[in-house]
Amino acid sequence: MAEFDKADIEKLMDGVLPWPATQDMLKSSKDEDRFDKYVEIMQSRVQFKETILLPLTPQLFIVSESNQRVVKCGCGHSFGDYRVNWKLSSLIHVRDDEASMSEVYKGREMPDPAWVQLREYICPNCGAQLEVEAVPRGCPPDFEFLPDLDTFYSEWLGRPLPDTVEFADKTLDRIAEWSE
Amino acid sequence: MAHPLLDEMKAQEEAFKQTGHLFGLERLARKESDPGTYEAVWHILSNLCNAAWATGCKVSSSPIAAEGGDALWGLHTSTGEAICISRGISAHAGLLSDMIKNFIGLGYEEYPGFKQGDIFENNDPHYGGIHSPDFDMCMPLFYGGKLIAWASCVSHVSDAGSVTPGSIGFLNPDCYSDGLPISMERVGEHDRFYPWYEMRIRSRTRTPDFVMGDARGRLAGCITIRERLEEVIEKYGLDLFLDVGREYVEDSRRYAVGRVKTQTVPGRIRKSQFKDLAMKGKRVLLAKQDIDCAFNLPMELTINADASVDLSLQGASGTVPFGENISPTALKSGLMMGYSHIVGFDMFNSGPIAAWNIEMPPAGSWANPFEVDYQAASGVAWAPAVTWVSNLYEVFGRLFQMRGFVEEMAAGSGTIMTAEFSGINQTGMYLTGLTLEQASQGSPARGYSDGENSAWCIYTPEADFGNAEISELYYPILFLGRNVAPNSGGYGQFRGGLGHTAVWMVHNTPGLEYQCGDAGMRSKMVANHGMYGAYPVVPDRPAYGHKTNVKELIDSQSPLIHGRGDPESPAVASLIEADIVEDNAVAPFVTPEPLVDYDVIVHPIAGAQAMGDPILRDPASVARDLNEGWTTTRVATELHGVVADKPNGAFVVDEEATQAQRESIRKARLARAIPFKEWWQSECEKVAAQENMDPAIQTMWASSMALSPKYAEELRAFWGLPEDFTFGA
Repeated sequence: MAEFDKADIEKLMDGVLPWPATQDMLKSSKDEDRFDKYVEIMQSRVQFKETILLPLTPQLFIVSESNQRVVKCGCGHSFGDYRVNWKLSSLIHVRDDEASMSEVYKGREMPDPAWVQLREYICPNCGAQLEVEAVPRGCPPDFEFLPDLDTFYSEWLGRPLPDTVEFADKTLDRIAEWSE
Repeated sequence: MAHPLLDEMKAQEEAFKQTGHLFGLERLARKESDPGTYEAVWHILSNLCNAAWATGCKVSSSPIAAEGGDALWGLHTSTGEAICISRGISAHAGLLSDMIKNFIGLGYEEYPGFKQGDIFENNDPHYGGIHSPDFDMCMPLFYGGKLIAWASCVSHVSDAGSVTPGSIGFLNPDCYSDGLPISMERVGEHDRFYPWYEMRIRSRTRTPDFVMGDARGRLAGCITIRERLEEVIEKYGLDLFLDVGREYVEDSRRYAVGRVKTQTVPGRIRKSQFKDLAMKGKRVLLAKQDIDCAFNLPMELTINADASVDLSLQGASGTVPFGENISPTALKSGLMMGYSHIVGFDMFNSGPIAAWNIEMPPAGSWANPFEVDYQAASGVAWAPAVTWVSNLYEVFGRLFQMRGFVEEMAAGSGTIMTAEFSGINQTGMYLTGLTLEQASQGSPARGYSDGENSAWCIYTPEADFGNAEISELYYPILFLGRNVAPNSGGYGQFRGGLGHTAVWMVHNTPGLEYQCGDAGMRSKMVANHGMYGAYPVVPDRPAYGHKTNVKELIDSQSPLIHGRGDPESPAVASLIEADIVEDNAVAPFVTPEPLVDYDVIVHPIAGAQAMGDPILRDPASVARDLNEGWTTTRVATELHGVVADKPNGAFVVDEEATQAQRESIRKARLARAIPFKEWWQSECEKVAAQENMDPAIQTMWASSMALSPKYAEELRAFWGLPEDFTFGA
C-alpha cells in the first residue's frame, strides 16, 4: 500500500506537485490514511477550530459544533444543519438578463436568459463564490451531496461518531417554515 | 429443445443474486493460484482485441474508422459478458454485451442456431442499438465443437441511409427515417456476408463502398480475435481460458466496488443537467419539427452502505420529434463507459456496472422512449445521453475530493458539435461523412491542474481529430485554420482544456451541404457545471459565409480568415465579404443552400469544464494564458481579478494591483448578492408566472412533471406551487 507525505499532498492540492510525483500518486494503489491526512491539512488551513467531519467541497466543510453537524465555509461562516441544502443560507446573485449575463459572457458567447439563468452562491462573510448553477428558471437548487455520515464513519472508517442523526433531506422542511 | 446458453445465463443471474459475486465466484481461484499467468493472459487477451482493432480499421476504407479509429472490438464469455475490449469507442462495450445476451434470450441458439463462422448484427434501437450508423456485430467462437466465447465489434459508418445524408441524424422525425435497420439478424455464414446483405447496403446507403468496407473491417477484426484466441487456448488450455474469462469480470466488479468504498462517501448525490435543441424557423423535415426543444437530464445517485450504487433519472423530460431519443440499453452502455473512465478502469469489461442498480427511466422520456412513443427517432441517440453522462465526471470528482484523492478529481465534459459534409468531392465522387474534429476536445479540469487542450473526448479514449490532410483528401475542403480556441475551457481556479476552431474553405465542388450536428451540443444554454464556483464553458456557436470574396483575397494575397475572432467582432463578418453571413448561428442546423467554392465555415469544438472560484486562479497561469493567446485581458481582469502589464512584449502580473482587484471583486459580490430567502420569495412568483421562460422550457418542465410525479411533487413544494400546477398551461 502506498503512503504519501502530507507535504506532497499539500503540494498536490495547491497545484505545485511536480508531474512525475503526481503521476506516481495517480498510478499507485491508494494510501489508506489519505482521508485523515487530508482532513488534517484542511483543519490547519481553515479559520475555525471545530472538528471537520467531511470536506464537502474545497471551501465548505461539515463540522461538529456543539453536538450539531453544520456546514461551514473555510472562513468560519456557518450555514447550519448539513441536511438542509446549505445554499438556502447563502447569498445569491442571479444573472437572468442580457446585461448581467454579459458581464461573464460576451457577444456570441452569451447564453439565452430565457433558457438558462446563472446562479452564483456567495459566502456572506468572505465573498467566496462557492458554486455556480446554470439551470432554467424553475429548477430547484441542486443539493449536490447529502452524506450518510454515520454509515461512513461507523461502517466504512470503522470509528463511529459519538452520536447519530437521521439520514434525511431537511431542505423542504425549511421551505415549509418559510412558507408559513 | 434445449437452450444450454439461456439456461446458463439464468443460472448465472441467480448465482449473482445469491452470492453477490458474478458467476457465483466467491473466490478467484486462478488468480490466487497463479497470479502471473492470470495477469499475462489478461494482457494477451487485451492485445488480441487491440490487434483486431488495428486490423479492422485498416481493412475498412472509411475515413471514420481508418483515420479516426471510430470502432471497437471485444471478447465475451459464452453468455455475453464482456471480458475485455480493444481501444476505440469504449462507449459501446455494454451495448455489445447486451446484444449477445439478447440473441441468447430471444432463443436464437435453437433457431437459427449458432455455429462457427456465423455473423450476427444489430443496429436497431428497438432491440438495444444506439443509432443506425453504429453497426454492432458478433460472432460465436467455437472450440472443440463447443461455443466458448463471442467476438464482437461496432463501427460507425459514414451513412446508414437515414432521411438526411450522414450519420448524425438529429433531424430524423421518427424511427422510419432513421435509415436501414439490421434488426437482430444473421447477416452471413462461413465467414462471408450473404449476397443480399451487400445488396441491401448498396441499395439503401449513400456510400455503400465505405459501408461495406466497414463491414469487412468488422469481420476481419472478429476473425482476428477468433484465430488469436485459438492460439491462446492451445497454449494455456480451454479450462484456464474459461476460468480466467469469468474471473476477470468478477475481479473488475470487485475493483469498482472496492474503489467506491475506499475513495468515496455514502450518501445521496443530485446533479441537474439540461440541453437545448432549438429548431424553430430552421430547415426541418416535417411541420411538427418547427419547434424548439429543451431536455431535462437529471442524475440522482445513492451510494449505499455496501458500496452498491442506485441510479435514477426521475425528472427526465419527454421524447422529442428529432433523432435524440435513446433506448435504456444504449444509455446503460454509455453510463458504463463513463464509469469505466472514472472508477472501474483497471480491467474494462462488464464487471463494474454489475454493482449498479439502475432504475428504469420514466417511460416516454428521452431515456426510455419506445414504451410510449414507439415511433421515436434515435438518429443521434447519444446527444442527450452523452450530455447526461458528463454529470458522472463532476459527481465522482466531488466524491474523490471528500476523501482527499485530489489527483482523481475531474470537472465535467465539454459538448459535442459535429460537422458532416455531403456532396460531390474533388474527384467527382459523391461523399457524405463525419469529420473527426469533435473527437478531440479539451479535457476536464483536474483537482490540481488545468485540463489538456484538444486531447480528450468523452465517448472514446481515442481522442484524435485525424490529419487535416486526410480530411482534405476525402472532402472538398481546405483547412484555413485549426487553432486553439481562447476562453473555451470555462473560467475557474483550474480551467478545462481548451477546444479548437476549424476553419474550412469549400473547394473544388459543384455544391456541398454542411451539417452542423448535435451530438451533445448546447447553443442556447450552458452546462450546469459551475463546480465549486467556476463559470461553465461558452455555448456552441458556429459560423459560415456563403458566396464570399475569398478568391479575390487569395489572388491579391490579402489576409484570410484563420480563426473564430473576438466574440464581439466575429471573424466572418469582419474579415471577409459574403452574400450570406451567418456569424452567430444557433446550432444544430443544415445549411439551407448548397455551399460553393470559396465559402467559409468556422466550426468551434468545445473545451471542457472548469472548477473552483475564478479569483483563486494562480495569477501566473493567467499570465501564461494571456501570452499564449488563450485568454483575453477582459477575462483576466474582470473574472480572474488578475492585472497584468506588458512592459517588454510579454504579460507580467502586477501582484499588488491583482490583490486589490480580487478584493474589489469580493466586495462587489457581497454588495450585489442577496440572501437566498429574499431571492426565493420573488423567484416563487416568477416561476408561478413562468416569467421570461421560453416555451421550450415550459414544455420540458411539463413533461418532466407528468412523467415523474414524485419529482413534480418536490418541484412544486420547493416553489410553493399549487398541487395542480403545470407549466405551459
